[in-house]
Amino acid sequence: MISRRTLKVIDKPFLLVLTALIVFGLVVLTSASSDVNPGAPYIFLQKQLLSLVLGLVLIIFILNIDYTIASRYNRLLYLGTNLLLILVLVLGTEMRGSQGWISIGGLNLQVAEFAKILIILCFADFLSKRQGMLNTLREMMPCFLYMGLPFLLIMLQPDLGTALVFLAITMGMMFVAGANPKILVGIIVGGLGVIILALFLHAKFGMWLPLEEYQLKRLTVFVDPYNDGKGGRGAGWNIIQSLVAIGSGGLFGKGMFQGTQAQLNFLPEHHTDFIFAVVGEEFGFVGAALLLLLFAVLLLRCIYIAYNAKDFFSTLVVMGIISMWLFHICENIGMSIGLLPVTGVPLPFISYGASFMLANMIAIGILISINVKGRKIVF
Amino acid sequence: MKTTNIESRKRIASLFLIFVALIGALFVRFFWIQVVRGDELAKQALDNRMREIPVKAKRGILYDRNGRELAISVSTDSIYVNPAEIKKAGEEEKTARELAAVLEMDEEKVLSLITSNSSFVWLKRQVDFNVSQQLKELKIDGIGFHEESRRYYPKGTLACHILGISGTDHTGLDGIDLYYEKLIGGQDGKIVIEHDAAGRQIPEAVHRYVSPTEGSDVVLTLDETIQYIVERELDKIVEARQPKAACAIVMDPKTGEILGMASRPNFDPNNYNDFPAKNRRNFAVNNAYEPGSTMKIVTASAAMEEQLVSSQDRFNCPGYIKVGGHRISCSDTVHGHQTFSEVVEHSCNVGFINLGLKMGIDTYYRYLTAFGFGAKTGIDLPGEATGIVMKESQVKQINLATMSMGQTNAVTPIQLVTAASAIANGGALMKPHLLKKVLDGDGNVQKVVEPVKAQQVISKETADELCLILEGVVLNGSGRNAAVEGYRVAGKTGTAQKVGEDGRYLKSEYVASFLGFAPADDPQLVCLVVVDAPKGYPYYGGWVAAPVFKEIISDSLRYLGVPRTVMEEKEEKTPSVAVPDVINLPIDEGIKSLQNAGLNAQVQGEGDVIWGQVPKAHASVKRGSRVVVYLSAVSEQSGQGKVTVPDLEGKSIKEVARILSQLGLHLAPDGYGLAFEQDLAAGQQVSVGSTISVKFQPLE
Repeated sequence: MISRRTLKVIDKPFLLVLTALIVFGLVVLTSASSDVNPGAPYIFLQKQLLSLVLGLVLIIFILNIDYTIASRYNRLLYLGTNLLLILVLVLGTEMRGSQGWISIGGLNLQVAEFAKILIILCFADFLSKRQGMLNTLREMMPCFLYMGLPFLLIMLQPDLGTALVFLAITMGMMFVAGANPKILVGIIVGGLGVIILALFLHAKFGMWLPLEEYQLKRLTVFVDPYNDGKGGRGAGWNIIQSLVAIGSGGLFGKGMFQGTQAQLNFLPEHHTDFIFAVVGEEFGFVGAALLLLLFAVLLLRCIYIAYNAKDFFSTLVVMGIISMWLFHICENIGMSIGLLPVTGVPLPFISYGASFMLANMIAIGILISINVKGRKIVF
Repeated sequence: MKTTNIESRKRIASLFLIFVALIGALFVRFFWIQVVRGDELAKQALDNRMREIPVKAKRGILYDRNGRELAISVSTDSIYVNPAEIKKAGEEEKTARELAAVLEMDEEKVLSLITSNSSFVWLKRQVDFNVSQQLKELKIDGIGFHEESRRYYPKGTLACHILGISGTDHTGLDGIDLYYEKLIGGQDGKIVIEHDAAGRQIPEAVHRYVSPTEGSDVVLTLDETIQYIVERELDKIVEARQPKAACAIVMDPKTGEILGMASRPNFDPNNYNDFPAKNRRNFAVNNAYEPGSTMKIVTASAAMEEQLVSSQDRFNCPGYIKVGGHRISCSDTVHGHQTFSEVVEHSCNVGFINLGLKMGIDTYYRYLTAFGFGAKTGIDLPGEATGIVMKESQVKQINLATMSMGQTNAVTPIQLVTAASAIANGGALMKPHLLKKVLDGDGNVQKVVEPVKAQQVISKETADELCLILEGVVLNGSGRNAAVEGYRVAGKTGTAQKVGEDGRYLKSEYVASFLGFAPADDPQLVCLVVVDAPKGYPYYGGWVAAPVFKEIISDSLRYLGVPRTVMEEKEEKTPSVAVPDVINLPIDEGIKSLQNAGLNAQVQGEGDVIWGQVPKAHASVKRGSRVVVYLSAVSEQSGQGKVTVPDLEGKSIKEVARILSQLGLHLAPDGYGLAFEQDLAAGQQVSVGSTISVKFQPLE
């Protein structure tokens, strides 16, 4: 179980903010999911609670083993993870347009969510061994290839959102690992440039792109959601309804269960990807700002843990988790408020989803381990 | 032992800055959306989920002037379905069968309606009471009843052109129902219902009922009985002569109130779709036609008011007149020598053309405009025509000549009847109207429409004199068929050749009309009857329209209880007598003379000397008939003394008559124009009551 020492040295603000976030998440989910299945309004809450309990068990399990064994079995872990991603492409069930799900005893699990954590562990080890040797593109190339494989496998599902999370993790971890920042920025700017050029060429000259037209539309429509070819009733619908939901919340919101946009189903996916719109609509600017503040404090405590980690591997693991969450938060909220393309990335601790919740709980377990083991104990 | 080096810490710090910047950007964006654009987006959220179902306001009732209902609103049920609920029950086909049977609709169509992808579909609107009752008994889930009211015109075709029609959605589409839509239609209400994204109504959600404001009940100037008489007489003439169209208007000249107005062809406003659309055209208001001789009342009014002519002025009709190279003939007869009264009685074209040419274009147009021609009368009905009046600047002498006899310009029946009303009303032209009162919900009078005097067109004197001349038309002239026993009727016939599509006058099509009023001494009713292209012979106004006028006027006057002037007598038993000449006799002497001849006298005006009589001297009338004698304003006192004869040379007839009557002298005029000779020399002393013969000649 959890040792007394662990309880003593654990970062209290981190735990407090985490608890607050989880409670906030449950409250929002209760309201947001109440109408999704009218026959059983609390089924989503029940499932989310079940995931939390399972997650707690996982956390305790992680606290009782040494997370650094990941470093020792690094290759096995990397190979196993990629094999799992290949397996899911072959055997997985298709849900919500993505071949990324595996059914185990009635529980649908999204392999990519767990893969994120496993790859963070592998990549942290991979990078820690190359500290100070990431100055040239040639030196950095192996890192890109290392991360490129799982990235590609996830793209094949296809799950663009999660694939982009991998990209964020790669960049964040490499940056902290001391990679040449000019090359990193160059790659980001260059990549964006190539994408924009490709989109331009596609729109102007019909250049072939590895995306279906509807996927493309969904990605680009955020620029002008009303111009989706159907007057806002096509690809732009989600963004418009989300904006209307958040905007109509005003300063203090409409109150729990009172958000018409979500409760009356104008806003699709309002208990998963677009749950932030429910926060904005029912709890207003104050609620949304509070949520953002909780996330900020959580990430701040994570940085504190990274600072005080016992070794570079641990620091990189924490930085990987930070990069992952930061991307999730920014992308999820960003798409809800029409700033970023809609890619289906859930909001940590708030969105409904068993796999995502379990994966995050594992991350929490690892974070607490690093926190507990890293801190010097002064008697 | 620190395991992270300085460089990594720096990098973590910069990553932290990026993270702060990102969170900050999100924060700013929230603020923008939620606080700055909050209201706008909240409204959009509201619009998203609120649907409105209109609730039609009840239309006001239209009453006739005596409170009899002419148009009412009856409640009916409209049936709608909520397909979502029907589908939930899972018996779509059975339900469709049941509904189709009761509603007498096609089963397939019902099925497609009740299974459509919507939350609100009208199944059938405005069904009869027993049908909705039957449906209610079936108790089918998902079927709803929405009370709507439907316009019903209980009198069927009666006054159809005036009352108008109302559509399924209960808005006025024609007639009074359209013209006063805002007043009668009220303000629609609505039911606002909250819907979810799939269009389903949300139980216990926001339902707001905005109740409709009911339309006002209004009282029209129409008199149902008079309207009925008008409709009946039009039906008779339409059946007898099968004209292309016909119309009749009855108006109260003192107020401009329309008491009856009907056009043919007509329609049933309750089932207006069963009739050709052209039947909805209100000839009386929407059509213009060349009126012919009825229009001569304008020429006569102008000439008399301008003192260019008086009733006893002499005219000669050689049967035709030449105007600028054109030869215009005077019907088929040569009228020869005649007084102005006779010119009107015979409707002598030559006489009127002479008058028209004498007054000139400016004068004629001044009166034409003053009588309201070339402009809408402003009657409260939709689509009033303006008529076609030739531009004054383009008028040549020949046009003036034809206008004087009623051709060239086209007028609407309502314009003509309004103009005649001015003559019947002492020269004051009243604006014609149909709305009399507006009532509030409890039947209290909210607003009364006051008669509006548009203009004093001619003086009362001229008007009264013209009334007498027009009475002569009915007594002796072309309008004899309009005479009503027991009432003094004045009027003018009209028989106009119709203009064909090529602009030439048609040989065989005429518009027969009669325009008149009664009683002539105190007109209560003005009536115009127009019959467009009657079949058969004769087609003259005096033969076709005058009898219709007679029936309408005689029944209407009797219905209104207007006292009779002449005693009704059996015709065969009474021998004819010659009317004695009582002009210039003192009143008691004149009456004695009439009594001796076995006649009754009716005195008009005040004074003690008779200056005129109807019928004229030597006319053959039945014994016991009433002879109307007109008194002049010579007082008894002035009758005692002597007066000096004035010099009348160069004065107009009207002036001479005025001067002499002030002195207590009587005028025996001869000719027309200006005085140039008088039988008693100026300066001579004569006794009051003497008659002076004055010769007039036109100023050349």
